[in-house]
Order: sequence, then C-alpha cells, then structure tokens
Amino acid sequence: MNLRDKLKALESGKPAPSAPKPPPKAWHCWHTSATLPLSEFPDAFSVSRDTVMLMQGDEMPRPFDPRRILYLDTETTGLGGGAGTVAFEVGLGYLTDSGFVVHQYLMRDYPEERDLLENVMAVVNRFDVLCTFNGRTFDLPLLRTRLIMNRLSPAGLDKPHIDLLHIARRVWKLRLKRCNLSRLEECILGIPREHDLPGALVPERFFNYLKSGDFTLFDEVLEHNQQDIASLCTLLAHMVQYYERPEDVIHEEDVFSMGVALERMHHPEEARRCYRLASVGCMKVAGQMRLAGCLRRSGERQQACRVWEDMVRRREGGTAPMIELAKYYEHTARDIPAALDITQKALSLLAEPGLYEDDAGCAMKEDLLRRYDRLRRKIRKP
Amino acid sequence: MNVEQLVSQLRCDTTFMENVVRWEELPPRMAQYAPFPEGLDKRLVPVLGKRGIHQLYTHQASAVEKVLAGRDVVVVTPTASGKTMCYNLPVLSAILENEDARALYLFPTKALSADQVSELYELIEEMGVDIKTYTYDGDTPGAARKAVRQAGHIVVTNPDMLHSGILPHHTKWVKLFENLRYIVIDEIHTYRGVFGSNLANVLRRLLRLCDFYGSHPQFILCSATIANPQELAQTLIGRPVDLIDNNGAPMGARHFVFYNPPVINRQLGIRKGVLPETRSIAGMLLKNGIQTITFCKSRLQVEVLTRYLKDMVRDPLGNAGKVRGYRGGYLPTQRRDIERGLRAGQIDAVISTNALELGIDIGALDACVLCGYPGTIASAWQQAGRAGRRKGTSIVFFVASSSALDQYIVNHPDYFLHKSPENALLNPDNLYILLSHFKCAAFELPFEDGEAFGNSPAPEQLLEYLTEESILRHVDGRYHWMAEDFPAAEISLRSASAEENFVIVDVTNPASPRVIGEMDRYTVPMLLHENAIYMHEGQQYQVEKLDFDACKAFIHSVDTGYYTDANLNVNLALLDVEKQEEHQGALLGLGEVKVSTLVTMFKKIRFDTHETLGFGHVRLPEMEMHTTAMWWTLPDDLANQFDNDTLKNGMMGVANLLRIVAPLYLMCAPQDVAVVYQVKSPITEKPTIILYDNCPGGVGLAHKAYGMQLMLLDRCLNILTDCPCEAGCPSCAGPVGEIGLTGKQTAENILRGLTK
Repeated sequence: MNLRDKLKALESGKPAPSAPKPPPKAWHCWHTSATLPLSEFPDAFSVSRDTVMLMQGDEMPRPFDPRRILYLDTETTGLGGGAGTVAFEVGLGYLTDSGFVVHQYLMRDYPEERDLLENVMAVVNRFDVLCTFNGRTFDLPLLRTRLIMNRLSPAGLDKPHIDLLHIARRVWKLRLKRCNLSRLEECILGIPREHDLPGALVPERFFNYLKSGDFTLFDEVLEHNQQDIASLCTLLAHMVQYYERPEDVIHEEDVFSMGVALERMHHPEEARRCYRLASVGCMKVAGQMRLAGCLRRSGERQQACRVWEDMVRRREGGTAPMIELAKYYEHTARDIPAALDITQKALSLLAEPGLYEDDAGCAMKEDLLRRYDRLRRKIRKP
Repeated sequence: MNVEQLVSQLRCDTTFMENVVRWEELPPRMAQYAPFPEGLDKRLVPVLGKRGIHQLYTHQASAVEKVLAGRDVVVVTPTASGKTMCYNLPVLSAILENEDARALYLFPTKALSADQVSELYELIEEMGVDIKTYTYDGDTPGAARKAVRQAGHIVVTNPDMLHSGILPHHTKWVKLFENLRYIVIDEIHTYRGVFGSNLANVLRRLLRLCDFYGSHPQFILCSATIANPQELAQTLIGRPVDLIDNNGAPMGARHFVFYNPPVINRQLGIRKGVLPETRSIAGMLLKNGIQTITFCKSRLQVEVLTRYLKDMVRDPLGNAGKVRGYRGGYLPTQRRDIERGLRAGQIDAVISTNALELGIDIGALDACVLCGYPGTIASAWQQAGRAGRRKGTSIVFFVASSSALDQYIVNHPDYFLHKSPENALLNPDNLYILLSHFKCAAFELPFEDGEAFGNSPAPEQLLEYLTEESILRHVDGRYHWMAEDFPAAEISLRSASAEENFVIVDVTNPASPRVIGEMDRYTVPMLLHENAIYMHEGQQYQVEKLDFDACKAFIHSVDTGYYTDANLNVNLALLDVEKQEEHQGALLGLGEVKVSTLVTMFKKIRFDTHETLGFGHVRLPEMEMHTTAMWWTLPDDLANQFDNDTLKNGMMGVANLLRIVAPLYLMCAPQDVAVVYQVKSPITEKPTIILYDNCPGGVGLAHKAYGMQLMLLDRCLNILTDCPCEAGCPSCAGPVGEIGLTGKQTAENILRGLTK
C-alpha cells in the first residue's frame, strides 16, 4: 500500500476529486469597466474636506477633491483572513465629470493574481484617498498580505483612508443595531437590494469556478461588488449631508449619536448643536443630559446648570439632573442650602413606591443619603 | 535550624531512621569557570559585572562560543545552573550589533514566557539600551499586538500561538521573519510524543517562511536531563545540533533520603499512608524554617496537604500565608504572586503538582519532599532538582506510597539512582500530524513543484493527495490553497483536546461572584461534581451547582471536617472493526472504540484520620472519547492453560510491558497511548489486550502498532527475559506487589504462546 492509498483510507468519505483543468496560456487577469450616470450620485461632488475630518480622525489631503477619492471593495476566498486567503476580485470606483467609473479586476486562477495586483496598484497610485467599508481591518490588510506574498510593494496602500463602517457604526448603531452595508442601503439610502448574493456564498463561487470553468458563476459576484462600490460613494455623500445639516435629519437617535461621535472626536461645539437638536422625543432626557455634561466638561458650568434646572422644572429625567445639580451647588456654586434642598427633592422622589427599587436605585439612594448627611454637617458648622 | 543541623539531628533520631531505607549523600560540586568568549559584544561584559558575574560557567561559555560560531546547539543543564545566559547573551549581543536583528523565544507555557520577559527586562534595563522584548500570546491585548509585530526585537511566545497566531499571519510579521537570527526553544524535554511531533512540524513551517523572507535563523535549545537530548533536538529541528553538557555550575552537597512509611498492621502488611507521613516530614521542615517544596501526584493531595500545613502555622499575624499551594487551575496572577513570594523567600513551604516541575523561576529551595514517585526517573530528578543551592546543603525526601511501583523504587534505590532517565521520543512524520501541517504550510505559502518540507518523506505524494481532495490546486508549478477554512484552527498541538475549560465561580457572596480558577473538562467530573468539596489554596468550598453546558461551576466557601474523593470508571466499547487478521491462532484487530469515563459516586473522607464518613451519588453525563484501538486476543488453548487469577496477573504483566515498549516503537510519549487488558473482553468475548490512542480521534498510533503485527509482543518478551529481576519489577512486567508472584512467569508464557 503506498502513502496515497493509506491517506485515502484515513480520510474516507470525502467527495471524489476532480481533474485539474489545463491552465490558460498567458496569466492576465480578467477586467471590465462601466460608467454609471452621475444622476445616481447626488451630492457626491460636494463632499468637503472639513466635514470628512469631522467624521473621522485621519488627516485628509489639501487640496481635497472628491474626484481623487478611490472607492475600493474586494471579494475574497474566505472571511477569516490569514496568508491563505486571496482577494480574487477587486472593484475600484471613482467620480469623473462624466460619470462614476467602476473597474473590476478578477483572477480566474491563482497565477493571474500578480497581474491583478499590479493593475489594482496602478490605479490606487493615481488617487489621494481610499474609501472602503471595513477596509481598515479587512480589505487593506488582505491586499497588503497579497502584495507581500507576490513580492510587490504594499507602500501604495499607505494613504489617507475613510472607513465608512466605523463612521456608520457611530451614527446608526443606536437605532439600527446592525450596520452592515446592505442594511444601511435599505434603511439609510432607501435602496433595498433584490436577489443579492449573500457575502458568505462568495468564496464557494470562486472554488466552483476553478472546478467547472463556468464563468456565469461570477455574474452575481461582479454585480454585487459593483453595487457595493457604488453604495460606498452614495453613502459617503449621504453621511456628509448628515453631518453638515443635522437639523434636516428626522431621527433624533441619529442626531444624538452624531453628537456623541463629534464629542469623542473633540468637536464639542458641533456636538452640542446635535444634542440640542436631538433633545426631543425619545432622546429628550438623554440629549439634555449629554448636552449639560458636554457644557460642564467645556468649563461652561453655569450653562450646564441651566439645562439641569430646566429639566427639573419640567420634571424630566427623574433624579439624574437633581444629582448633577446637587454636585454643582455643593462644589462649584458652594451654595449648601440649595444643594441640600435639591438633595432632599431627589430623596423624596426616590421614596415614591415603584420607582428605583432595583440594585442601582438602592446604590443611588445610599449615595444621596451620604450626600445629605454631609451637607447637613456642613450647614451646621459653615 | 539549617539543613546540615537537621541532617545530623535526623540521623540520631532512631524512630525516623527506622523507616529510612537508604540515605544517599551526593557530594558537592565545585564551580568551573571560563572567560567570556571572544566576539561577545563588549557592552555586555560590564553590565554582567555589575550583576556580580565576572566570568561564565563552562557550559555557558561553550554555548555562547558555539552559537557565535554559527552552530545550532542544545544545552543540557540541571535546574538553576544559569541556562538562560546561554541564550540571552548571544541574542543580546546580536541585537546590540545590529538593531534590526530579531529573536523568537518559545516556551511550552505562558507562565514560563512571563518569567523570561521579566528576567530579560532587568538585563536590558541595566544596559540602558532600546531592546524591546514582548510577550505575544493569548493574553496580549489587541492594541499592543501591532507594536509587538512591528517593533519587538525579542518576541516571546509558545508553540500554540506560533502555530495559529503567527505563522498563518506571517505577512504581518515581515520585520521579524526578514531579520530572524535566533530561535530559542527552552524546556525541549517537554516536546515529546504528539506535542513534540506537532512542534517539529510547526518548526518546519517556520523555517519554510524564513526561507521565503530570506533569513536563516540559528537554534539555541535547552533541555533538562533526559537520556537523549541531542537526538530529541535534532528530530525537533530537523538538522544536526552540537550538544553542550559540560555543566560548570556549582552545587552544594545533597542528601537523598528514601523513606518508607512504617508498617502499622503486620498481619495485613498495611503501611502508614503517604499523605500523613509527608505531612509530618514537611511539617518538621516548616517548623525548622527550612524552605521546602513538596510535590504531590494529584491536585487533591496538593490541597489537603496545603490545608494541613497552613493550619500548623496559622496565627493572627497571617503566617498561614507562608504556606501556599500551587497547581494548574489557579489564576495566572495568583501563580505569579506565589512564584514571586518563593523567590523573595516570603513563602516557607509550597505544595505543588508537577506544574512546578518546569523551569518556572522560583529560585532554589533547601528541601524537597516527593509525596509518592512521580512515575518516571526524569520527572523525579527534575522535582528533586528544585532543592539544591549553589552553596550549602540541601535535602530531598522520597516518601513512598503503598503502590507497587513506589514500593519497588523505595526498596531498590539503586534502580532509581543509577538508571538513566527515559528517552524523549517523537515522530514528526506521523502521517496524520504531517498531513495536518502540510495543509497549514500550504495555506501559509504555496508549495512549489519539487519543494521539500523539512526532511519529511514523500512531499509530492502528500501534495498530490491534497490536490485530489480539492484542498490544493496545482497550477503553473505551484500548489495553491483552495479552501475556505483556516487549517491551523483544526489542529491542537497538545494531545489533550482543545475544548473549553470550566470556570470556577465563587458565589459565597451572591452579590459579587468571583472567578477563582479554571479546570479542564476531563477533570471536572472528578473534582467539581455537585456537593464535592473543592479546595483552592487550602480553603474549602462546596460545589453548589455544576452547569455542564455553560462550562461553569458555582461554589461557596464552607468549613467542614472532611474532603471528597470521586470514583472514576473507565469503559471501552467497540464501535467498528476496521481490520482483523489471525496470526498463529492469535487474533489481531483494529477499529474505532469509545472510551467512556463516568463518575458515579464520591467518598467523604475525614481530615486527619482519613476514615470514610459516607458516600454520595454523582449524576453527570459520561465523558466520551472516540479513538482508534488495536488489540491482541489470546487463543482459547493458550488462555485455558491458566486459572482466572493467574491469567489476570499475567495479562496485567503483558499490559505493563506494552506500556514500556509501545512508546519506544511508536515513537510517542507514554501518555499518548493507553494499554488496558480485559479477561473477557466485550469486543472479542475472549481475553484481550487493547492499545489505543489516548486522544480524541487518534493520531495513528494504533494503526502503526497494528502494522507491526506481533513485533511489539516480541519486544516485550525480549525485555522480560532479559530483565535480571526474579519475579517482576517496574522495568518489565511490573512489581510483584501488583502482578503477584507468578505474574512474570505467566506473562512470559502468554507472550511465548502469542508469538510462537
């Protein structure tokens, strides 16, 4: 029994192997391009440097030209990464004055990979900025790996990068929970996909093509990829509109989330504008509390105090604004009677049956009681 | 009191000496020095001088010299002989000379890695140079990983992480692979059997990638004393290495005391228990302020002893903290804390399983107590090696249990003192293991036509096989990975399965549950069944609830006068016969079996007196393992020659022999195969001896044994007849205490009958 028979015996029950096909003669990858009408990309030209910098931290080039952004998306042989995963298709898109141009490069077998990568990098090198959806953790590291494996330089990938996934998560996670591209297309851009190929099925299309040579297996892959590329451009433009005109946004959750994102990116003024706009409907309390918090952190304590006082007057937010006020009166305004008064109010609110009876409520009550005792001591011997 | 005073006091103590079977004194050894080798970076010498090192021990100097001359080396040294210098010096020297140079350190466990980094840090800090040393393992935070990959001069990791975290993602490690100068592998004696065979293949993959990136690293390997360090090293890395064993480290005098507990019932020949005797010896050492490590064979023993000794010194000042337990399953932070305490001398006594046998740095202690024989000579010497200072006397007590093996060792001290330790064996070309790593290698980098994989046999046949299975695609002279899977995820390097560990949650205060430890799922039914008394650092807890599906055990602290010990039943069932053939009446079979282990009840045992207080039932699912087995069945005319008891003892003897012989010829570690015998086997309905792969799924060892037909039995017979013992010993059929007076003879008759 030779080694191969032994191995067969070890792994019985596997499907019968297929015979390898004769390879094509020259190793040039397959390529196609299309130009989509600009009418499908409203606002795409008005993407501005300042707004992009508000949305994320990467430095953007000056001058900034939306026509010099390259939208990039890959289709791969696996979703897990690692040196054995290959990007068998790379789609690239960019705006021109006559339309949105999409180039798609596809390898029909492994030896075509090098040509694919060289073609892709030739295009990448002509642009200033890359825009992807989850490219920071997926597409770009993968391309880098492929370049290294083919002994090509990955330096061209080191340029300013806009990763829409991270921006989208910051803005829409609160409302939409999941933020994959097709969900955003449906819920944000209002263009649901029909008969779309689920991403998880993409790798097997490539492997099946290798076995069968049936090029139609790629039809849906290419269609799916082209749609992704186009959506990247539309989504970026849409996000820019969101950030530039929060007052036009209908969902207060989104405006609130934008505020949080802006505050985290160290744009407190823009953040407060969003919080003010968001302080209606279901975000009324959260919006005002964040607004006051943001004011306090910027040193505008009196303004923050006014927000809390308004909330207490309108009976909004329960004990939360009262506790903040108590801290403010005690430590900032040093108005002990006012602090004691508001602490008592908060305690009497806590005493109402049915409210604050969980663990957090108990802890809050203990805190308040401690504060109350301390304030009483202070008032006795000023 | 110091050890010398204790020695003279004990020698006058007639009650104690009555039980001492042998008192062996190993003379002190003088230090042998050599100057710093030429070629070592000059900046290192003054820094070492500041640390009090003005010359090197001979073995350190030879190692550094050979490495600087471009050789691969394996250094064999006992514990605490300064072996880390053997690799740290050439590595630091290389980085000082060229700051792009990189080194990879591999340690078998995370704990050892952590230890190494702290030691290296000190040297580097002292030099005031920018040499970055990072640990890269499962605990390395995501944010820090990028820095490790880019900037780490010395990357410290373990084989598992190298296998699944580094090699498959090698493109993120370009700097390391392009500049890799040294690969340091410490504790190579642990890489035997399946684990070693896996590591050898991981190294083949590593070297293949180095080749791609154009680097040609040298190996510096270190091993504890085993019979065949050079052979092991060469098999691991697939190329010749120079052996360095001219140990120049000094060692004070050592006393080795073989202690056999007194007989307490002369009629029945019952001896005092090993645990109480160990307790009094360790207690005596503790009382006299002699820093001691006690090795136990089970976690339970560790906990019981820890409690005893803690109680001895417990006082309001918190002196109980001077006694600590140590074993697998404690949290890493707790273990680090104990190791630090030992080094700093704040801990007087530590009670450990073999977890501390490895090179974890706890400094040298004054005394060591072995509570029972650890099973192999290599292991016993390693544990004993924990006691022994460079200057001053140290002492080791071996306290024998009543098991046949222990009794044999204690009654034949020369067997232990003069026999060479066991061989460490591995087989990197085991087909199952090789095939798995071929997949990983192909994933990492396409194979070229005619490319070799280390020195593995027939690479093109394996590649062709994988191509036929549509896992690889052969096109244009290369084999490309054409599957969606991540092959490294499918292999666990260690024979134990990679399944999730159980977490132990202390819910004594329900408001703030606290994780205090973890345990592998095969041990859980024994120690964490409901109502078990679980002990952790001597503190007792009772298991409230065992959530098998969520892999969690909930316990609360209790104070009872007893502990629990569960009974484990092992059953073997045949699932499928793959092959069967007859040889001169003996039937050989190969097939799939199910090994099931079930805990059905536990005993409550009173502390101090060790009497059984009662029983409890355990309701837990059976733990199952499917694996491959082969068996030899005795023909009727052979079996009928013996009465039932004689047959049983004889088969036990044959099984014992097979446990010795099989690892040698299957080239694996003793724990990789299991041998059992059944006088009436459910598989064959006849007396049968069964050998199976001791890991889920099997790794081809039973297949290999089956292919050898009667050869293994033949070798058993050789060993048996060559052994000079009268009626059995641990080197052949087993001690008389286990197999009876006729066991050896019956085993011989059975083997002759089977192989005639």
